[in-house]
Amino acid sequence: MTPAPQIAAVEAYADFLDGDVAVVRRVRLSLDEPAAALVVAPPEAAPQAWPFAEIRQLRDQASGGEVIVHRIGDPVARLILRDPATIRLVEARCPNLHRRPPAQNTGRLAAWAAAALASVALIIFVLVPAMANRLAGFLPPAGERALGDTTLEQIRTALDDTGFRPLPFCTAPAGTAALERMTGRLTAGVALPYPVTVHVLDHDLINAFALPGGYVVFFRGLIEEAETPDEVAAVLAHELGHVVNRDPTRIALRSAGSIGVLGLLLGDFAGGAVVLFLAERLIQATYTQEAEAAADAFAHATLAAAGIPPSALGTMFQRLLEEYGDAEGIVAHFMSHPALGDRIEAARRADAGLTGALRPSLDATDWRALQRICR
Amino acid sequence: MAATDIGTNFAGRRGRLFWLALKTSVLTVLTLGFYRFWMKTRLRRYYWSSVRPGGLPLEYTGQPLEKLLGFLIAVVFLAFYVGIVNLVLVFFSFALIQDNIAAYLLSFIGVIPFWFFAQYRARRYVLARTRWRGLRFGLEPGAWGYAWRALLHWLATILTLGLLWPRMTFWLEKYRTDRTHFGSVRLTQGGRWQMLFRPLRPLLFGLALSGGGLLLGSNGQPAAFWLLLPGAPLTLYGFVHYRVRSFQLLTDHKTAGAIGFRAHPRPLRVLRIYSVGGFFIVLVLFLMLLGFSAALAAILSVGTLGEDLLSELPDLMQALPTWATALVGILFYFSFFIFWGVLTQVFLTLPLIGHYAETLQITGAPQLALIGQRARDDFAEAEGFAEALDVGAAL
Repeated sequence: MTPAPQIAAVEAYADFLDGDVAVVRRVRLSLDEPAAALVVAPPEAAPQAWPFAEIRQLRDQASGGEVIVHRIGDPVARLILRDPATIRLVEARCPNLHRRPPAQNTGRLAAWAAAALASVALIIFVLVPAMANRLAGFLPPAGERALGDTTLEQIRTALDDTGFRPLPFCTAPAGTAALERMTGRLTAGVALPYPVTVHVLDHDLINAFALPGGYVVFFRGLIEEAETPDEVAAVLAHELGHVVNRDPTRIALRSAGSIGVLGLLLGDFAGGAVVLFLAERLIQATYTQEAEAAADAFAHATLAAAGIPPSALGTMFQRLLEEYGDAEGIVAHFMSHPALGDRIEAARRADAGLTGALRPSLDATDWRALQRICR
Repeated sequence: MAATDIGTNFAGRRGRLFWLALKTSVLTVLTLGFYRFWMKTRLRRYYWSSVRPGGLPLEYTGQPLEKLLGFLIAVVFLAFYVGIVNLVLVFFSFALIQDNIAAYLLSFIGVIPFWFFAQYRARRYVLARTRWRGLRFGLEPGAWGYAWRALLHWLATILTLGLLWPRMTFWLEKYRTDRTHFGSVRLTQGGRWQMLFRPLRPLLFGLALSGGGLLLGSNGQPAAFWLLLPGAPLTLYGFVHYRVRSFQLLTDHKTAGAIGFRAHPRPLRVLRIYSVGGFFIVLVLFLMLLGFSAALAAILSVGTLGEDLLSELPDLMQALPTWATALVGILFYFSFFIFWGVLTQVFLTLPLIGHYAETLQITGAPQLALIGQRARDDFAEAEGFAEALDVGAAL
């Protein structure tokens, strides 16, 4: 080990700012080795002892060749060392020179962090949903339609992998006609606040969702996964149930409130992520258990009235659950409530409501056309 | 320069700042934005210590954790406004006019007073954490007074098509300066607002030329479009000229007791920093985009480096598996913005601060010895509102 450089007391000087007046004083430095302290001796003032362990260097400084040090516990006094030999001496003696000064106010910080989290949670999970539920009932149909248009565009843009153009709709004429016939059969005799528009998006997701203003959107993946047209019809009937009950409007209004709060928290650096999150929420919309039960009940009644076995809904869930487990697409969507088994069972029981003759929701030609709607 | 005047040195270096900015930006991205409070603190320490009136560096004593705390405080207040008010605005906007433009517009207008409020509070925080010669600067409270004054001045400026801009510049600067302290001494903004008309002249002239050219040109006299040739660059220069010369006049008329200031920034030099810096930034980012495209093309072994490579990018992206596209996209997105920010610091902020610093003199320096310390402004909210509202308090 090389011995620490020694200092002849008379040779070491520094510029001293005492933090009381705007005057730079030339001070003499000396070492008090037994006390392990640097002695700062301003002219016409009592010398101060700065313990080596308490001396810190200012961080991230632009260098003009000098080193500025301060002492923990003294917020204002500064020593400006300019002479290289003096700098080396201080560097050799002060073990904590480059350590961060201890953080202050950590208790207060923790309290505010907790308060911030609590208030944001209160706003996102309590205040905004409560208001959204209230307001959704007052939104006129034309307004809902516009809200649906806007959110559909956002979802199409957000879901596109390349990020360069909105996700295309599937519009093969025969398939579109088949889908319209199916929708017509299910909505015959149902009082709708606005006409229903059904779209198919060209994407692998096995899912379907409803948007404000009467939009029901299927992903190609769901149509490919279905084994019979009745399964597609059953999902459509369930989403129509959400449309009739205006559930999507509540969710969309809720997002309008909470999205801004999230953007606030994350800063503009994650602007894109927030939009993506909005899309995610709308697709994987987790409605309340009552809303799901109401949509199921609507689906059962509508399917039965149209001569389609309501158990098709249960069959579809059952198979997806077996094939993909719990966390995939539509299963995750419907799995958000532990009573999935009950709902499959309820769908089976609803078959009892079938009165007239069974009629498949689409004939063989139409079903093939629907399966090829994206080509 | 009198014997009692002191000049200002600038010790900032591009290389050192580049690494500091790059390191802290990467950490900010990796921590999902959390490190930005540390980044801001560290960059300010560097900039402040670069500016050395009379050879003694300024010191920035702000702490990252107090910025985080201030941000959390602002979040508690703003979350309520943003959440509830936005929801109500979106509802009425869709209900009444079937569009959300009105909601965005109203939401934006509603935030403007907060914006000025936040600007003043951020300035108060930054001054309270700035020291020179061991003494603290400070700004008296008065953010709401500033906010409504700024609103009215803006309104007057817009209604007079910009003619009252000098009036706004002067009175807002006076409001801030007259509340600014260095240690025990208070600063005063002298002069009259009319003195700022002179700096406005190149801009007015440029606007008149361009406006006249456009007006006549689109009304059957196409030859008048030639007026844009001198008009447009003159307008651009006019903006810079006004900013620089009004800063100079305002600085020359500031006093702190018997201490005064002399600023000599040059509009053409500032314009050059903007043009050269802007050119470098665009060039580097364009090369990044080109390199990224070439790398992608090489990976896929499709196509050669043609001139329409950029237009083929969407198709190239489509050919990759989803996770790879997402990864490449995220990587590129963030490196683009990181470099944008870092290069702006290195090629614009640093040379601009350098120029303003090196052309600043302080007169009556011996009077400095009479100034004492002022008490610490324990300002818990820091610049939280500015941070949350993104008021451009990047520095």
